[in-house]
Amino acid sequence: MDAGLLEQMLLGALLGLSVYLPLRCGQLSLATPGFFAIGGTVAALLSTRVPALAGSGSTYPITSVLLEMALAALLTGVLALGLGRVVLRLRGIYLAIATIALVEILRVVTLNLEFTGGALGIFGIPQPFDSAAGYAAFTLALLALICWLCDRLEKNRPGRAMAAIRDDELAAASQGINTADTKLLAFVLSALVAGITGVVAAHFLNSWNAKLGNFDASITTLAFVVFGGSRTWLGPVFGGLLLTALPELLRPVGDLRLIVFGAVILVGPLFFPKGVITPELFKSFKRRIRGTPTAAAQGVKP
Amino acid sequence: MTLLQLEDVGVRFGGLQALQGVDLEVKQGEIFGLLGPNGAGKTTLFNVISGLTAPSSGTVRWRGASLDGLSSHRIARLGIARTFQNLRLFSSMSCLENVLVGLHQHASQQPLAALLQTQSFRRRESQLQQQALALLDLFQLEDTAHQDAASLSYGDRRRLEIARALASRPQLLLLDEPAAGMNPSEKDELRELIRRIRDQFKLTVLIIEHHVPLMLGLCDRLAVLNFGQRIALGSPDQVRRDPAVIEAYLGGGA
Repeated sequence: MDAGLLEQMLLGALLGLSVYLPLRCGQLSLATPGFFAIGGTVAALLSTRVPALAGSGSTYPITSVLLEMALAALLTGVLALGLGRVVLRLRGIYLAIATIALVEILRVVTLNLEFTGGALGIFGIPQPFDSAAGYAAFTLALLALICWLCDRLEKNRPGRAMAAIRDDELAAASQGINTADTKLLAFVLSALVAGITGVVAAHFLNSWNAKLGNFDASITTLAFVVFGGSRTWLGPVFGGLLLTALPELLRPVGDLRLIVFGAVILVGPLFFPKGVITPELFKSFKRRIRGTPTAAAQGVKP
Repeated sequence: MTLLQLEDVGVRFGGLQALQGVDLEVKQGEIFGLLGPNGAGKTTLFNVISGLTAPSSGTVRWRGASLDGLSSHRIARLGIARTFQNLRLFSSMSCLENVLVGLHQHASQQPLAALLQTQSFRRRESQLQQQALALLDLFQLEDTAHQDAASLSYGDRRRLEIARALASRPQLLLLDEPAAGMNPSEKDELRELIRRIRDQFKLTVLIIEHHVPLMLGLCDRLAVLNFGQRIALGSPDQVRRDPAVIEAYLGGGA
């Protein structure tokens, strides 16, 4: 497989995780492309305007990329913390609309500001890696780290609190869960993931402009989670990888590819309403490996 | 000793006066019943106590301190747990996880230990699991611990909701129609169960239930609501003979 496509798939998986985190808490936030755009703009600006970051070697130093990531995380985190307090008071579709507005505001502002390059954007972003394979390895490590963190989150107290809020917010509050803070945590984590993904994407794409964080991206990234499933972190990773690859893999069928792509997104929820990857899938998988259903898995005492 | 005190509590939803001038005192350790016809304001009263509905007038006091303006999770952490009339379980989670959510609210939060899965963290986590299983055991739900809450029978779901409420280690337990949909023998079991958990967990219980014989047999004291107002208060015997109660339940001239 082409390493460039692999890199795009990995970035898709990361963005899927960013949409997934609030959704696991029952919050439909479409703000991911907005925070992604902030991360990308931070990286584009720092790496092209700050000579001190460029280093002396032929390639752009990775430590500088990490520094950009830290700064992007700080910026998106603080913004999400402030915005989240306000927008998370909205529920359901109203939250979605408010977050779409956020993405649009950021896009229009970036489009019209002088220092972000206006409609043309920023060009010649320096390359920390010689090849796409280098990017893919770096992004794979980043994805692995974030998946590990998500796994720990899900299996512990904050993850259970998030699931409780998704199932029944009122009952969760009555059990002593601070629902406002838990939702805010999910929103901020989502923004951090999107922000640092933007940094990697900016270097990989070599140029950055306002169009990269638009409404289309909101819908595409949401499709990753709807298709993959929002019950475990594996769902959005699977959805992000597959749905990013699909349009490229379908290139041979020409113009039909967009129709096939649309059909997959449409048929996915019809046949897999909880997404393709669900906890039940793991259970049945485990059972199949062990041969017979165990008493514990069935919940029956011998 | 007075645990919970309602002073002149009123709730108005637009043109509807759901509660008006309700005074109540619930003493520590008693089983206190709320009776009343449909729409009398019983559940609204529970919502006021648990912080889901803000009273339009009056005050709720917990151990003498006002609960005004406290959000429901703060009230829950003070030691007031409840069940819901229409069952509000975490339906995608297993029975064990439903109970664990409540237990967690009492364990201290250690994000770093959770991230690194330290030995002491894992030991504490397995202790919590044991506690959760013990609670399920008490409600005869140990066999279904790993099943989704949504897959349980109706009666089991009702019992699981009580188990979940107990997991947050309350001092006051609010039960909203716990016997709804149960058959007579299940109702008898429930009565014994409520008594038993009251003694075992040193609880105070405030209970709404329509089944009058169950309430008269179970409660130490009762209050009767009608059209948002308290029309009677006293021991089961006093309430049974109260003319205003007979009027509300059977109509005038009965």
